[in-house]
Amino acid sequence: MNLSQRHLGLILIAPGLMLVAALFLYPLGFSLVSAFSKDGSFTLEWFSKAFELYSTDIVFTVVIVVASCALTALAAIIIAGTLTLGENRYIVGTLRALYRWPLFIPFIVAAQCMRTFLAKNGLMNNTFVSMGLIEPLQAVSFLDWRGIIATFVWKQTPFVALLLAGALASIDRATLEAGRNLGASRVRVLFELALPQVMPTLMVALVLSFVTMLSVLSVPMMVSGSQPTMLTVDMAFRINAYGDYATANALGVITYLISAGAAILYLKRGLSEGAAR
Amino acid sequence: MRILTIACSLAALMAASPLAAQTLNVASAGDQNMVDYVKDYLGPMFEKANPGVKVVSVGTGAGDSGSQKIYEKLDAQKGSATTDFDVVVIHQKATGQMVKEGLLDKYTANVATAKLATGEAARNALGTDVSGFVIPMFQSQTALAYNADMVKAPPSTFAELADWAKKNPKQFGYNGIKGGMSGVSFVAGWVYAFGGDAEKLMKGPYDAATKTTWDKAFADLKEFNKVATITPGNAGTLDMLNRGEIAMGPVWVDMFYSWQADGKLPPNMKLKLISPGMPGQPMYYAVPAKAGQKKLAEAFIALATSPQVQADGIVKKFNWYPGIDAANLEGKLDKAAWDKLFVDVTPADLAKNGKAFPIAPYFNDILEGYEKKVSN
Amino acid sequence: MTRIASSARLVLAVSLLAAFAFVLLGPILNLALWSVAERWYTPHKLPVTYGTRYWEQVFRPTGDAMASLGTSVWIAVLTVVFALALSIPAGYALARLKLPMRALFMLMFLLPQAFPSVAIYINVARIFYQLGINGTVFAVVLVHTTHGLVFSVWIAAAAFAAVDKDLELAARNMGASPMRAFLTVTLPLAAPGILASGIFVFLESLDEFTGTFFVGVPQVTTLPLLLYNAAMGGNYQVASITALILLVPSVLFMLFIERFLRADVLAKVGA
Repeated sequence: MNLSQRHLGLILIAPGLMLVAALFLYPLGFSLVSAFSKDGSFTLEWFSKAFELYSTDIVFTVVIVVASCALTALAAIIIAGTLTLGENRYIVGTLRALYRWPLFIPFIVAAQCMRTFLAKNGLMNNTFVSMGLIEPLQAVSFLDWRGIIATFVWKQTPFVALLLAGALASIDRATLEAGRNLGASRVRVLFELALPQVMPTLMVALVLSFVTMLSVLSVPMMVSGSQPTMLTVDMAFRINAYGDYATANALGVITYLISAGAAILYLKRGLSEGAAR
Repeated sequence: MRILTIACSLAALMAASPLAAQTLNVASAGDQNMVDYVKDYLGPMFEKANPGVKVVSVGTGAGDSGSQKIYEKLDAQKGSATTDFDVVVIHQKATGQMVKEGLLDKYTANVATAKLATGEAARNALGTDVSGFVIPMFQSQTALAYNADMVKAPPSTFAELADWAKKNPKQFGYNGIKGGMSGVSFVAGWVYAFGGDAEKLMKGPYDAATKTTWDKAFADLKEFNKVATITPGNAGTLDMLNRGEIAMGPVWVDMFYSWQADGKLPPNMKLKLISPGMPGQPMYYAVPAKAGQKKLAEAFIALATSPQVQADGIVKKFNWYPGIDAANLEGKLDKAAWDKLFVDVTPADLAKNGKAFPIAPYFNDILEGYEKKVSN
Repeated sequence: MTRIASSARLVLAVSLLAAFAFVLLGPILNLALWSVAERWYTPHKLPVTYGTRYWEQVFRPTGDAMASLGTSVWIAVLTVVFALALSIPAGYALARLKLPMRALFMLMFLLPQAFPSVAIYINVARIFYQLGINGTVFAVVLVHTTHGLVFSVWIAAAAFAAVDKDLELAARNMGASPMRAFLTVTLPLAAPGILASGIFVFLESLDEFTGTFFVGVPQVTTLPLLLYNAAMGGNYQVASITALILLVPSVLFMLFIERFLRADVLAKVGA
């Protein structure tokens, strides 16, 4: 049984894997070759060029994506926590109806919305000025790194919150009730009792968001000026301005290594869990 | 389930294949308005003249990245018998590359209107000889747009502009070099102004040592950037002008007019082409070497570059400068429409300050120099 | 005292919710405003003139917005079906069967999301041209499926893991074959979660631009292709309207799927 189960497993997973292999791994091979070779021989020239020109942007990218993930996680925890532990029916209901909308907005449109929303004289500042919250002279433009982070958080929070809320809803209510009965505040119940149980889901949702943010071109391109900027913009620029696929692919490899760093978090968890089983 | 899926998509595939006898696929690198120009104006006109033909217009994105996509697609199709596109509308940089790699057809001898375009742009694309391969669709030009309410005395040279920006910090905005060609054009103009021999950059010959003479120009530009605003893209510059966040910035003249027509710029915005000049470039009509419908493609381009269409479509409808020589449009256009084109930027300005982009190797040197010395 | 405290808390909660709603809906409201703005410039804080001129432009006879929308939705639906067909067996294997290198396989499905795609699509287009399938709906669906597979496989695996093993065993003990037990017990119980993953696959497909361009254009044009040009060029009105149109199928699909969503299934995602 065990042997055949193993085979059956491989057979079942094969079609999906084959699709990924044919339409992703195989073409990826070409990119790797071009990133590591010049005139047919092995070189790291493209990588040194990538570092020479874009070292600032590499750091910038990592900082942006990590900060966005952290804020996304926080926002999603607050939303999902309120949905699960909230006691006012109307507030929970309103929140439930609201929070998912950005999920349906494509990144490119989100970028465009934010470009006109977060600008110095954009809708947000204008609203604040009209409400008397700030003076016109205090209005500042958020169209820089803050704008990129804001857009990412805005777009990814519903995704993480959706998965997290589902996970929270399914954990054993009795423990949570017991915590509440012992006098723990809702915030404590959320962070000390509920969250540890759904950590795997949160991590996975964040890993998926992390990778997604790393690969988005339109948001850094449209929301912020180009100095410094994210690696996707640099990659597009290498290709469009110089037809330089080698350096672009080298930047691609660097981006991939960054996402691998995030994925290792997931892998480690999966392995330790597998060992525990 | 999977068999069902495949059956479905096969059915869809058949449904999607065109019923018209012949399809002419036109790919345009450019803004929405260029795609719509073919879709709504040229396409129907051509279909009417050629019953049974259907024109399909696709856009590949604005700026050089749009042309690059067309190049990549044609390159990916090197092994095929025919290419997906029959007519391509592309920028100079990609055109030079495509001509060198043999991806384009030398077709202009078969199109009578080719004789109407005799300017330098019809022969030379950033140093590559493209004569025979292209006919310009239109010419465009970058210029400084400024809000006349906020700027009473606009600068008229790059040096004056640098002073003006210092006195009015953050009021000048441009989009760096990664966000589109209007920023690139401004940087090229800066190097023309402060980097020495501009003529040599536009005409060649290429000398790899020249780029070392730009160090001061780049250092000054780095200083200048501190008092300037870096905007997100070509549209980003116009966007900030729209909201009054900057008072001045380099824009494409045609984009400027279409934004104004769309009600996205204050009515009191004006253009100025400062000296020693800023670059402009044409868009080209070209035919891929393996186009499936070469005859139709040539007929389509002949129509598109005929004086009447250039007058009505290019100048009157879209405020572009004509691709064929202006003299051929005489009598086809009322004076008002023609004059509208030159309200802010006069023909004399254009002749004096409308420059070409540098030849390709210098162009790359400028961009890479900027990356190394200004933005990093 | 407690009454005051609790009403103060309520006020706080409501104002937080209002702030949240502003942050969340502000950008979308901005979108809606632009879609009906005919003229809007400084120093006006709201559009100077409103109108439906751009709606008419998008829906003009030659604009083929509706045809592209149809193609987009059709491709998205096929992609969902395709992705689910692949991920039901894969998810079951990952959740229930002893697989060597399980984590590695899971990671492999993540790859297409992780590596920037432009360079990949050029090569995919090359392969498809050789096969002669470039420019077909089928080719676009294949590319979208590869991209969306991570969502459907991971969530399907979670859904199967959430099904109580005892129920399956009970069915087996009553004499059902493994296949029958799977079809009558496991699959129906996991179905809600599997369908839920469809949302993400659907949304991924509906947004996709680059892959469609390389393997679909010019024979297949989707709505994001129109949107991309308009948005990059700063044609706010047209881009906003296109985005609003795209919103309709996404929301409908979500509502359709939501009926099948079950909390405990979402709990096990990625586990």
